[in-house]
Amino acid sequence: MKLFWAFARQNFHAIATYRFDFWLRASSIVILMYGIRWLWITLYTESPGAFGVSMQQMVTYGVLSMAINNLFFTGPPYYMAHQVRTGAIDLDLLKPLDFHLHMLARSTGEMLFRVLVLALPGMLVGYFLFDLQLPANARSGFLFVVALLLGYLVNFHLDYLLGLLAFVSIEIHSIDWVLHATSRFFSGQFLPLWLFPGLLGTLANLLPFRGTIFVPLSIYTGVLQGGAAAHAVWFQLFWLVTLFGISRWLWGQIQVRIISQGG
Amino acid sequence: MNGVQLYFRLIHISLLSRMQYQANFIVGILGLLFWNVINLGLIGVLVTQFTSLKDWTLWEVVFLYSLWIFGYSLYGVFFSHTSELENYLIEGTFDQFLLRPASPLIQLLGREFQLNELANVFIGLTGISLAYTRLDLHWDGWKWGFFIASVVSGGIIVLAINLLIACTGFWTGRSRGTSFIVSQFYYLVQQYPIDIFGMGFRLIVTGLLPVAFMNYYPALFLLDKVNHASPSWWLSYISPLVAFLLVGIVSVVWQLALIRYSSSGS
Repeated sequence: MKLFWAFARQNFHAIATYRFDFWLRASSIVILMYGIRWLWITLYTESPGAFGVSMQQMVTYGVLSMAINNLFFTGPPYYMAHQVRTGAIDLDLLKPLDFHLHMLARSTGEMLFRVLVLALPGMLVGYFLFDLQLPANARSGFLFVVALLLGYLVNFHLDYLLGLLAFVSIEIHSIDWVLHATSRFFSGQFLPLWLFPGLLGTLANLLPFRGTIFVPLSIYTGVLQGGAAAHAVWFQLFWLVTLFGISRWLWGQIQVRIISQGG
Repeated sequence: MNGVQLYFRLIHISLLSRMQYQANFIVGILGLLFWNVINLGLIGVLVTQFTSLKDWTLWEVVFLYSLWIFGYSLYGVFFSHTSELENYLIEGTFDQFLLRPASPLIQLLGREFQLNELANVFIGLTGISLAYTRLDLHWDGWKWGFFIASVVSGGIIVLAINLLIACTGFWTGRSRGTSFIVSQFYYLVQQYPIDIFGMGFRLIVTGLLPVAFMNYYPALFLLDKVNHASPSWWLSYISPLVAFLLVGIVSVVWQLALIRYSSSGS
């Protein structure tokens, strides 16, 4: 565990040196918050209370989504692809920490950094400028944090599995596009999943992407409460365990076959 | 050899080198197609569920999106590598352009040809044809002419804005940051009719970064949505003029930038 945090801290500091990158992300968050707030205000002025949700809840959902979605999609797949391509992956395998945990540590360091400099300031800006409301109640607030953490872990594993493909195919950019686009659609990042009709809705409810952004946001805004909220958290746990299992199994398959190219 | 001939010669060379990587080309096209389908899917679900976005119906929003992507694709296919100017400046590659006996601008523009971006041409054409049929439009010759002029203007507008941003690199050394932020505006204007946003945003995308002239304003005319009672009705007709003005500004800034240029020395 001490090792885990050592690696996490290391990447936290490594990321912190890219100050320019931070300003880019921060400005784009503000622009998108502005846009999404107007979108929902326009739609809800015309049909108030649509889908059983108030305008305040919907604006909060959209604005909060822009503040937190930077926590997801930290670097591991590209780091892994880079290490495989350059052959430096053998150095990672020599490290005194399980590879999977090492990647999680790197990602966690980056994620915590983004919580500090992007998500929390983003939420403050959202609160003061864009009508972001506080969580429905203390219980929702607490459960939101739990669900966000689980959502991060579910997303990390999807990313990690993508990174593992780098061992097989070297070129992952295009697969990454497909994964990102699918997640954009089914994670609730832009549209809450209750808007999805029929079969699309059923599919969205089954896929792991629901567990990444939609569940924490719905809990925060109070759309999911009580039993439904607990059920959603179990859904996240189910996918986390499943994806964890697949990751371990796949790593076992890959590890015996690694041939490092030079390095 | 004149500028135009030279341009096509350069494009030809770049094409030959591109075709060495056919798998990348196919995968790149499929990726872009998928990305656009997802974006259209999201906005499609949204507008269908709420029946309209302000007074824009589903197929009108599809038209808006497609008109933007069609104009953008012209930029994408021929000129999207101009965003690399920053790297040329930092690495000193730009010196090559000055040493050869040809216009540096032509050399920059002709440096590459992005076949992948043909996917956007396809999306634009498909979206516009579908919307045209679904909305039961019947344009006369003038409207068709205006449509083509709008698409070409769209490509020129985005090229001019991106070149201007890239030119700031001559003074500041870096320009990628600005273009990243500007792309957020692109993204919002591409997807949503700008009348859903506040006045501040509309002023920015009309005056400062005139991307609304790529789709929103011409679409008002093409879809018969111009409100002649509004004081800004004439904006719907001036996209070609905006493109023309921007070209003028770019050529002045480019000249100033060349005077200003000093090599990074590497």
